[in-house]
Amino acid sequence: MRELVVEFSREQIAAYAAASGDGNPIHLDDEFARSVGLPGVIAHGMLQMGLLARVAGEPGRLRKLSCRFVGIVRPGDTVTFRGEEANHALQLTAVNQDGQAVLSRAVAELDRAR
Amino acid sequence: MTGRVYPPVEFRIEPAHVEAFARALGADPADGVPPTYAAVYALGTTARQLFEDPVAAVDFARLLHREQEFEWQRQPEVGETVTAQGRVTSDVERRGIRFIAFESSVTVGGSPLCRSRAVFVIGGAP
Repeated sequence: MRELVVEFSREQIAAYAAASGDGNPIHLDDEFARSVGLPGVIAHGMLQMGLLARVAGEPGRLRKLSCRFVGIVRPGDTVTFRGEEANHALQLTAVNQDGQAVLSRAVAELDRAR
Repeated sequence: MTGRVYPPVEFRIEPAHVEAFARALGADPADGVPPTYAAVYALGTTARQLFEDPVAAVDFARLLHREQEFEWQRQPEVGETVTAQGRVTSDVERRGIRFIAFESSVTVGGSPLCRSRAVFVIGGAP
């Protein structure tokens, strides 16, 4: 089993916004985020998925990765990403400090040839 | 909007950009292109066309990414130029919430590299 524990920060979310090109202000501007009904800035789903991919093993073997974004992640939240391999597939989970899943139906498939 | 296809977009996988992306994920840039860099070369390149399409009229500020799937034939390498093409596979509204399913196909030199399937929700509860 692979595990990665990440405490999300504004700096990491901003770095991901810059590097990914997803500069939606819901990730960067608290006031804006609140104006659209969020509690403040939230992490990108794709940042969560990027961290999830890190517990999915060797990148070169990854053939499929999927998930649903079911919980918001805010700066200061700690998310534990876990991956467990069975039959060339990985069951993945991402759970926050309150025990709530932030990702669901998270699955990876690996190349069988290697 | 269902069935709407956008023109293909070319995108070069630049070393400096990949490095910044890997660092933002806390990954080691020496490990190659992070798999979810597909968010940039597959999804970012094509979803931008959807978001900027006046006919699609996507309320970007209220848009949430609800589901994502990537499927790879192989992982790309730094320096490669990919071609990405996006299309709307479904666009429905239920109880005031709009659901858009958006699929992107990525090829290199005509050979398939990656397929992205995203679901965006507009106007739903966070």
